[in-house]
Amino acid sequence: MCGIAGILLKNGDSGIDTGTALIDMLDGCQHRGPDSTGFALYESGEEGQLKLRFHVGSDNEAGDAVAALKAVFDEHGAEVIEEERIAGSYRVVVRFSGDLQKFSYAVEHAAKVVSIGESLEIVKDVGGAHDVDDTYDVHLFRGSHGLGHVRLATESDVKPEASHPFWATGFADVAIVHNGQITNYWKMRRRLERRGFAFATDNDSELIAVYLADKMNQGIPLKDSLASSIDDMDGTFSFLVSTRDEIGYAKDRLAAKPMIMFENDDLIAIASEEVSLNRLFPGRALDTREPPPGSYRTWSRSI
Amino acid sequence: MVTVDLKDLSTREANESIREAAARGETIEVLNPDARHHIGVGVIHPVDIHVRGSAGYFCAGLTDTPRFHIERNAGWGLADNMYRGSVVVGGNAGAIAGVAIRGAEVVIRGNMGSRAGQVMKKGTLLCCGNANFMAGYMMYGGRMIILGESGERLGEDMTGGEIFLGGDLVSLGSDAMETDIAEDEIDDIRAFLDRYEIPFRGSLRKIVNAGKKLRYGTPERQVRSIPYFNFSGDSGYWNHKVQEDVYIKSQIGRYRVRGYGGARELPHLSDLAFARDIIPGALGDDPVSRVRMHTLIGGKNGAKPLDLTMPVLIAPMSYGALSRSAKQAVAIASGMAGIAENTGEGGMSDAQRDAAGQLIFQMLGGRLGWNIHDMNRADGLEIYISQGAKPGFGGQLMAKKVTKELAEIRGIPAGIDLRSPSRHPDILGADDLVIKVEELREATGYRVPVSVKLGAGRIHDDIKIAVKDGFDFVELDGMQGSTGAGGAEVMEYVGIPTISAICEAERALASIGRRQDIEIVLMGGLRDGVDAVKALCLGADAVALGTAAIIAGGCIACMQCHVGQCVTGIATQDPEHEKRYKPEIEAQHIYTFLESVRWQIAAVTRGLGYDDVRGPCRDDLVALTPEAAEITGLPLCPERRDSGLPEINAAMERALR
Repeated sequence: MCGIAGILLKNGDSGIDTGTALIDMLDGCQHRGPDSTGFALYESGEEGQLKLRFHVGSDNEAGDAVAALKAVFDEHGAEVIEEERIAGSYRVVVRFSGDLQKFSYAVEHAAKVVSIGESLEIVKDVGGAHDVDDTYDVHLFRGSHGLGHVRLATESDVKPEASHPFWATGFADVAIVHNGQITNYWKMRRRLERRGFAFATDNDSELIAVYLADKMNQGIPLKDSLASSIDDMDGTFSFLVSTRDEIGYAKDRLAAKPMIMFENDDLIAIASEEVSLNRLFPGRALDTREPPPGSYRTWSRSI
Repeated sequence: MVTVDLKDLSTREANESIREAAARGETIEVLNPDARHHIGVGVIHPVDIHVRGSAGYFCAGLTDTPRFHIERNAGWGLADNMYRGSVVVGGNAGAIAGVAIRGAEVVIRGNMGSRAGQVMKKGTLLCCGNANFMAGYMMYGGRMIILGESGERLGEDMTGGEIFLGGDLVSLGSDAMETDIAEDEIDDIRAFLDRYEIPFRGSLRKIVNAGKKLRYGTPERQVRSIPYFNFSGDSGYWNHKVQEDVYIKSQIGRYRVRGYGGARELPHLSDLAFARDIIPGALGDDPVSRVRMHTLIGGKNGAKPLDLTMPVLIAPMSYGALSRSAKQAVAIASGMAGIAENTGEGGMSDAQRDAAGQLIFQMLGGRLGWNIHDMNRADGLEIYISQGAKPGFGGQLMAKKVTKELAEIRGIPAGIDLRSPSRHPDILGADDLVIKVEELREATGYRVPVSVKLGAGRIHDDIKIAVKDGFDFVELDGMQGSTGAGGAEVMEYVGIPTISAICEAERALASIGRRQDIEIVLMGGLRDGVDAVKALCLGADAVALGTAAIIAGGCIACMQCHVGQCVTGIATQDPEHEKRYKPEIEAQHIYTFLESVRWQIAAVTRGLGYDDVRGPCRDDLVALTPEAAEITGLPLCPERRDSGLPEINAAMERALR
């Protein structure tokens, strides 16, 4: 029950900033989901450093969570380089070179993880695109690509941690935004759990993220992982996925959820509705395309 | 020429300007559309409207006679339900282009998205590029021309109409087939293409309905009716009903279809009693004059609310399931009683509109009989999602009832076993629904309330969506509701009881702190004023009565509503049968019944010590059974069975004498 958006800048001269572009695109489709808004933003970090974001709550609860996290950092040899508390969240950059999956499962026990990555940072909270920007300064992001999501909560609560985008728990730099419903969720999840993967939520979008990250971890390219996801997932879905260097989409065979894209020499932008794409180019009629049912594709940033 | 610049205006302001200019007959130019939704909805004048850019969802929707020219693309639901007039799109159109059109000409120069022409009934949908998945899905009539590729499953479950294909046929849908194309059809298409200056000299092939799924294979043999009162029986095991059921299934080899409601014992309002004795003597001679009953429903978001003399509405029942005469009687009675009537699925008739003081117009997935003119003369608009008797299923109207006249109003071929779509073409989630609600509001200038009818299933989630999507009120329909025709097993076993529905709804809304943002009209097996007060105690703002009104108007409860040969003339379209029904007389009976409901609501409210129908609350109720206590969370007090009511009944007898 939501709207999604994604953008990848192919080069540095488009005159468009990722953060601002995503805020505009999500504001354009906020009617699809007024409860919460989130962003997955990619900005190159320093070699050997990880950016981590957590929901820690407020007051004592937050202090306890941060203390618990620091204990885990010490235990896993993660050295804190910078840290910051913003609203109910905690952002920290660490130097780390160990087993990321073990590390991430360990921090998961100390606090609610929002994202972990060398370049990925996920920012999400209740409210609209501008509300979240007011708190987290999303417009200051200048990275190469990113995803965004607006949510209308139906079955689960209106809470920051139930918002999108979802990070692929245990895998650095993989994020997803999804519109639709995976109907074989539990079957797929148990299959992955038997292989040792942990899930931070009961949300079907997290499943897609972990599913894709697992494939890529086995050396399967993102594009082929998307192809198999269409075969393996039942239900209705239009989703966007991003990694450190790529974004991609997949759309179910029933074409029940909207998706539309615009591409030129500078960028590729994908959204639930054209009104979001048009926010990037006010007053212009765009040459857009609607991806066909059962299709998928990826784009890479120039490195 | 009038210029409307969306850069400076909200969609609502822009649409008001567009409609005003259209009424003056002026040509309109829309600047900076930037793919915004609902551009030009609700226009009913033959003017040219130029959209200088791309349009969003439902552009040109719910219109009659305008000519739209969209420079580039259009989003989902282009020309939704457009009657006469035309739309030309210079670029591509999104999914469900030409959905439910009733005569319009829609021309798309580029490609079109999935399910184009879904439930279209009349007119022409032309796509110069490629179509996509399930073009012509469930179309009832009209002509679709695709000059490029067909996409997968062309003509899936189409009932009527023709599809002409110039490019490759990727695959045919269920119950579609290729047939020969006639010379004059080709000439017609050439003329159409020439008129829109489309150069195409290739050959065309023709796809139509194959006719394999329009009727049930073996008709259900008619049997002597077992009255409802026996049907539900004492024994739930091997009784007459079960025996008959097995026997009929041994002949037809499928589920049965029947009318009326479920016959199974389920927790009900009668499992609740009043917590306190009715104060004898408090009733006085005329409780109606001593209790405030006036109720407004639907004004939460600024629309003109329904203005009811008591918290009661007529439940939605269609012209189709019921005869024109029966609908007329109900409408007259509702007008006399000062409450609201509801069209149900089958469209609005002049007689019904004239007779009913206030009329809610209901929109279903098939968009049968739906149109902008009747929307404009309705007092409320209602999006049907599902109904309590058969949540998740579409309506059923057997061939006997699908007469020529009825088919004309609904825009479908006559003589089919009509199985209405169970879902809307353009509502596949809460996110689409909110855009649909907005379309209805934009098209009618935000004048009337927009409600949603929810059959009780996953009420805890669904009611939250209803409030978040901005509905003014919800008609919440429990499992004990009835229907003109439905699968027997579905009626008995699918859904949740009416008391569960209202309790779940109240809990869900409380959990998100939004109870005050929506009103609830409870229905589904409510029989009288006593049930109504219990519903109000549980939290309902008003109730709706369907079956009770029909019985008051002569229904004998034989459960054969689906057959079409109703002996009372209520559930039939056969003039011979309908002749027996005297609308004026039955209207008086229904009205008298509604007045008894009014009296009971007043008497019980007064007897509980209140002078306003908004007074009674949960504290005034107890549960008589463990199940009802569990469902409602009310204290279990079986010893209060019969409490209070003898006084009410005796007083009512006196009053009616």
